[in-house]
Amino acid sequence: MALVEPTPSGPLALPSGGDTSDFKPLGVFARPVDPKRSWRKWLFTVDHKKIGIMYGTAAMFFFLIGGSEALLIRAQLWAPRGKLLSAELYNQVFTMHGTTMVFLVVMPIGAAFANYLMPLQIGARDVAFPRINAFSFWCFLSGGLFLNSSWLFGGGADGGWFMYAPNSGVIFSPGHGIDFWNLGLIITGIASLTGAVNLIVTVLNMRCPGMTLMRMPVFTWMTLVTQFLLLFAIPVLTAAQFLLMFDRLFDANFFNVKNGGNPLLWEHLFWIFGHPEVYLMILPAFGLVSEMLPVFSRKPIFGYPFIVFSGVAIGFMGWGVWAHHMFVSGIGPISVTTFSLTTMFIAVPTGVKILNWTATMWGGKLKFSTPMLFSIGLVTMFTIGGLSGVTHAVAPADTQQTDTYYIVAHFHYVLFGGAFLGFMGGMYFYWPKLFGHMLNETLGKTNFWLMLLGFNLTFGPMHILGLQGMSRRIYTYDAGYGFELWNKVATIGAFTLASSVALFLFNVFYSRAKAKHLPNPGPDPWDARTIEWMIPSPVPEYNYDPIPTVTRVDDFWYRKYAETPDHRLVRTHTIEEVAQTGDSTGVHLPSPSYWPIVLAFGLPIIAYGLIYSLWLCAVGGVVVVAAIYGWALEPPDAPGGDHGEHHEPDAGGELPADADASTSASADEKEVETVG
Amino acid sequence: MSSSPVRTWIARVLITLVIATITLVFVLMFIQFVWGGDVGHQLTTLVPRGSFAQSIQTLVNPVFAIAWFVLLAVCGGVGFIAWKFRDRGDDDDEFPVQLHGKTSFEIGWTLLPALVLAAVGVFTVLTLIDLNKPAPQALQIEVYGQQWWWGFHYDVDNDGNFTGAGDVTTATELVIPVGREVQLSVTSNDVIHSFWIPALNGKRDAVPGQHHPWKLKATEAGVFRGQCTEFCGLSHANMRMLVRALPPDEYAAWLANQQKTAVEPAAGSQAAEGKKIFLAQLCSSCHLINGVNNEKVEGEKGVSSQLVSGVAPDLTHIATRGTFVGSIYNLYSPDPATPDNPSGNAGDVALPGNPGGALTGGDSSPYIFNSPALEAWLRNPPAMKPAYAQTPTIVNGVPLLRGMPNLGLSETQIDQLVAYLETLK
Repeated sequence: MALVEPTPSGPLALPSGGDTSDFKPLGVFARPVDPKRSWRKWLFTVDHKKIGIMYGTAAMFFFLIGGSEALLIRAQLWAPRGKLLSAELYNQVFTMHGTTMVFLVVMPIGAAFANYLMPLQIGARDVAFPRINAFSFWCFLSGGLFLNSSWLFGGGADGGWFMYAPNSGVIFSPGHGIDFWNLGLIITGIASLTGAVNLIVTVLNMRCPGMTLMRMPVFTWMTLVTQFLLLFAIPVLTAAQFLLMFDRLFDANFFNVKNGGNPLLWEHLFWIFGHPEVYLMILPAFGLVSEMLPVFSRKPIFGYPFIVFSGVAIGFMGWGVWAHHMFVSGIGPISVTTFSLTTMFIAVPTGVKILNWTATMWGGKLKFSTPMLFSIGLVTMFTIGGLSGVTHAVAPADTQQTDTYYIVAHFHYVLFGGAFLGFMGGMYFYWPKLFGHMLNETLGKTNFWLMLLGFNLTFGPMHILGLQGMSRRIYTYDAGYGFELWNKVATIGAFTLASSVALFLFNVFYSRAKAKHLPNPGPDPWDARTIEWMIPSPVPEYNYDPIPTVTRVDDFWYRKYAETPDHRLVRTHTIEEVAQTGDSTGVHLPSPSYWPIVLAFGLPIIAYGLIYSLWLCAVGGVVVVAAIYGWALEPPDAPGGDHGEHHEPDAGGELPADADASTSASADEKEVETVG
Repeated sequence: MSSSPVRTWIARVLITLVIATITLVFVLMFIQFVWGGDVGHQLTTLVPRGSFAQSIQTLVNPVFAIAWFVLLAVCGGVGFIAWKFRDRGDDDDEFPVQLHGKTSFEIGWTLLPALVLAAVGVFTVLTLIDLNKPAPQALQIEVYGQQWWWGFHYDVDNDGNFTGAGDVTTATELVIPVGREVQLSVTSNDVIHSFWIPALNGKRDAVPGQHHPWKLKATEAGVFRGQCTEFCGLSHANMRMLVRALPPDEYAAWLANQQKTAVEPAAGSQAAEGKKIFLAQLCSSCHLINGVNNEKVEGEKGVSSQLVSGVAPDLTHIATRGTFVGSIYNLYSPDPATPDNPSGNAGDVALPGNPGGALTGGDSSPYIFNSPALEAWLRNPPAMKPAYAQTPTIVNGVPLLRGMPNLGLSETQIDQLVAYLETLK
C-alpha cells in the first residue's frame, strides 16, 4: 500500500519533501503545508474525512434550498387556484426541487457517508486517489452552485427533473434555465464518476489484512454496489445531456421531430440512467440501517450473506426495469409486458432485506436510541413505498397511476421515508465518531417523532389524491375535484416536516455548545460492532495505527465479546483494552493539494462560456489545463512532509486469545497479499 | 431521555399522539379508497365508467388488497417486535441469543413473494393482451395534443383518413357513443402530452411524430373529465378535456350536426358583424370555421406562418361544447337557470358546463350561455390562461406564437364576436 511504503525507490520515485532537489521547473508549485487550524485546512485537504464532512455540509445546504422550494410548492397548493407562484415560477420551482433533492442532496449525502465511513470500515488510511477525492467534492459543489446560479440569471430550468424532449428544446424553453440544468448536471456527473472510480478502487484494493469481501461491513458492500451503479449510469445521462446540449446550443436535431429526431430516445437514455439512480440513492441508506439495527438490537445482522447478495441483486436487476417509467409512452405491448414482469421481481430482493431486518430485531434486546428509531422508521416507511411500487409494476394499473400524486407519494416514501430517514439515523449514529460529541438524545427523539409525523402528513395523503386523479406538476387545481382537504393536510405536514429539520439543525448547534462541558464519549459510545469504533472519536487524521487485522464479520464486536457454543455472549475485553489510543505520530499521509479545487472551479467557467460567450470557454479551458498541469507536476509531498516511521499492520496475536476457533487469523494469511 | 417519571409519561403521550395521528390519516385514506365513490371526485381512478378502466380496476384491486395486508403485517409486526423485545433496563451485560441467520427462513421469504408476484404477473399479462387488442371496426378518432388543448379528428366513414369529406373536427370535448368501442390514435403537434380520461381508461402519451393506439368504451352515459398528465410546459395544468358519452341516437344527432358547415348569421344582426370581425381580424388566420375561411387556414399563407404548433381550435361548432379554453372555463352554466338563480351559476367551473340542447344544434335552455367568460377571454387571453402568446418564439428565423395573444379588440367588437360565436352550434 502506497501510504505505508517506507522509502520511495525505483523509477517512479520522485523527490520527497521537495528539499532534495534544487530543480524548480516552470509551473511546479510546492504542495501546501498542512495547516493545523485555518480555512486552508479545508480548501486544499485531501483527507477523506474532511471531504466527507464537506460533502455532508454542502448537501445539507442544498437540502435547505430544495426544502424551501418544496415549501413554496406546498404553499401554492394549499387551496384551489393558488396565487403565490405564477405558472412559470411554479414550473421552475418543482423542476429545481426535484433536481436539487436528487443530485445535490440524496446522492451527495450518500457520498458523504461513503467518503467518511468506507475507508474506516475497511481499515484504510485514506481512499486510493486522495486528490481525485477532493476533486470529486469540489466538482460536485461547483456544479451544484452553477446549477443554482440560474436563479440569478433569469430563472431556473422549467422542464421537470426528467427534462423530456422536445419540451426541453430551445423552441419550447427559450430561456437559459435548461442550459444551466444541463451543464450543471454534466459537471456533477463528472464528480460522481471520478468518485465512483476512486471508491471502487479503494474498496477492492485497500482493505486491511484479513478483510475479505465477505467480512466487509454491509455499508461498505452497499457503497461498492452504489459506486458500480454510478460508474455505469452516469455516463448514460451525460451522453444524453451532450445531445441535449448540442440541440440547444448548436442547433443539432437529436430530439427535433420535424428533422427526424426522436423524443423517445431521450426517455430511454434518461431512464436507463434514472432507474439505477433510484437504487444508488437508496442502497447507502440500506447499508446504514444494516449497521445500526444490529447494534441497537444487541444481535448480529440476520443473514449477512442474504443482506449482501440481495443488495448486489438489486444492483444487477436495477438495470432491467427502466422502461417501467415509460408504460404510457407508447413503447408497445411486448416491452410493457417485459418491464412489468422484471419490475415485479425486483421487489423480491428488496422484500428480503425488509424481512431480514425484522428478523434481526426479533429476539433482540432493543435499545430505542435515536438512530434505532430512524432505522425502524426506514424499515416501515420504505415498506409502504415498496408496496405502492408493486401496484404500479402492474402495468395496466400504472396507466392510471403514473404522473399522478400517487407516484409522488410512492417515491417520497422511498426516498424520504427510505433514504433520508436512514441518513438521519446515520448522522445521529456517527455524529460522535465525526465530531467527538453526541447529539442530544431528547432533541433527537423529538426530531424523529416530529419528522415521522410531518412526513406521513405530507406524503400519506398524496396516495389518495393521486388515486382520486390529481396530476403531478400542476401549478393550480380547481374546486370541485375533491382535492381540497388532502392538499391542506399535506401542506400542514410539509411545514411540520420543516420544523423537524429546524429542530435537527438546532440540535447540531445546541449539542456542540453543550459538548464543551461533557467528557468525550470515547471510541465506542454505542457498544458497536465494526472496526471504525475501535479508534478514538473524533477519528485521528491517520485513522488507524497500527492497521488492524480482521478475522471475521463484526470484528470489533468479537474483540470485546466471545460467543459460547449456545450463542450466548461473554465479555472478554473492555473497550479500553481493545481500542486504539490515537496518539501515534509520524504517520505518513497524503499531502494537501491546490489543484483539485482549481480544476473543479474551472469547469463552470467553461459552462458559463457555452451559454453566454465562447471566449469565456477559452478562459475556463486555460484554468482547467493549468490545473491539470499543476496537478500532474506537483511534488508528491509537502515541504517537510517525510515518510515518517514504518507502521506495520497489527499482528493477529493481538487478538483476544480466548476467541473461538472460527476467529483464527491463520486461514486468512493468503488474503493479505491482495491488499496493496 | 431522562428517567424522570413525569417526562417519561409526557413522552409516551406524545408518541401515542403521533402514532394515532398517522394511523388516523391512513384509516381515513382507506375509507376514501374503499367507499369514497366519485361524488365530488371527478377525476377519480377508483370508480370506472368504462370497460377498460373496469378491467384495470379488476386486475389491481387484489394487488391493492395484498399491499394493504403486507403493510399491516410489516408495520404491525415491527411494532409488536419493538414492544416485545424492548430493552427492559436490566443488566447491560445480559445478551440475547446471538442468531446469525436461518437459511430455510430466508429461502422461504424469498420464494413466497416471488410466487405471489408470479401470480400477479400472469393476470397482468392476460389483462395487457386484452387491453391491446386492435379494434378495426371501432369508431376511429385521431386525438392530437398541442400546447395547451386537445383536438379530435373523427374518421366517420372509417376509410383511414381522418380529415376527408364528411369527417368531423372538434376540440376540447370528445363526444362518443355509449357501448361502442372507440379506437383512438393519439399524437401531438409539438411536445409530449398525455391523454387521460380516468373513468374510461388509463393514459397514453401523445408523442410528436408517432401515433399511439388507445381504446375507450363507455358503459354508461355521462360527462367524464380528463387532464393532460405529461408535463408539457407553461400551462400544463390548464390542459384539460372531457368526454361526453351519449346514447347512440343522441350521438347520431350530434354527429349529423357536426358534419354541417357553420351556421350563417342573419343579415344585419350583431352576429353578422361578428363574422366580419372574425374574417377581418387575426382570428381567421389561426382558427378555422368550416364554410367561412377554409382557404385561408389551409392555404399557402395559413397557420404555419403564425403558430409553433399548427392550427388553433376549430370553431365551426364551438357553441355545442360545454367548456372552452382547454376545458378550464365553462361556455354554458353547469346548472339549469331557475327564477331564483337566473344565471345558472355560469362561472362555477366545479362542474362542467352543460350545453343542453345546443349539443346537437338546438336550443341550450335552461342552461345559460356564459358570455362573461367568453368576453373576458377575448379581452385578454394571456390573463385567462398563461401562454407565451405575447412574445414570439423564433423558429428558424421566423417569429411564431404559442397561445392566443391579446388582439386589442374594442368592447363593441368583443360583443359582436361573442354574438357570432354563440350562433355556431
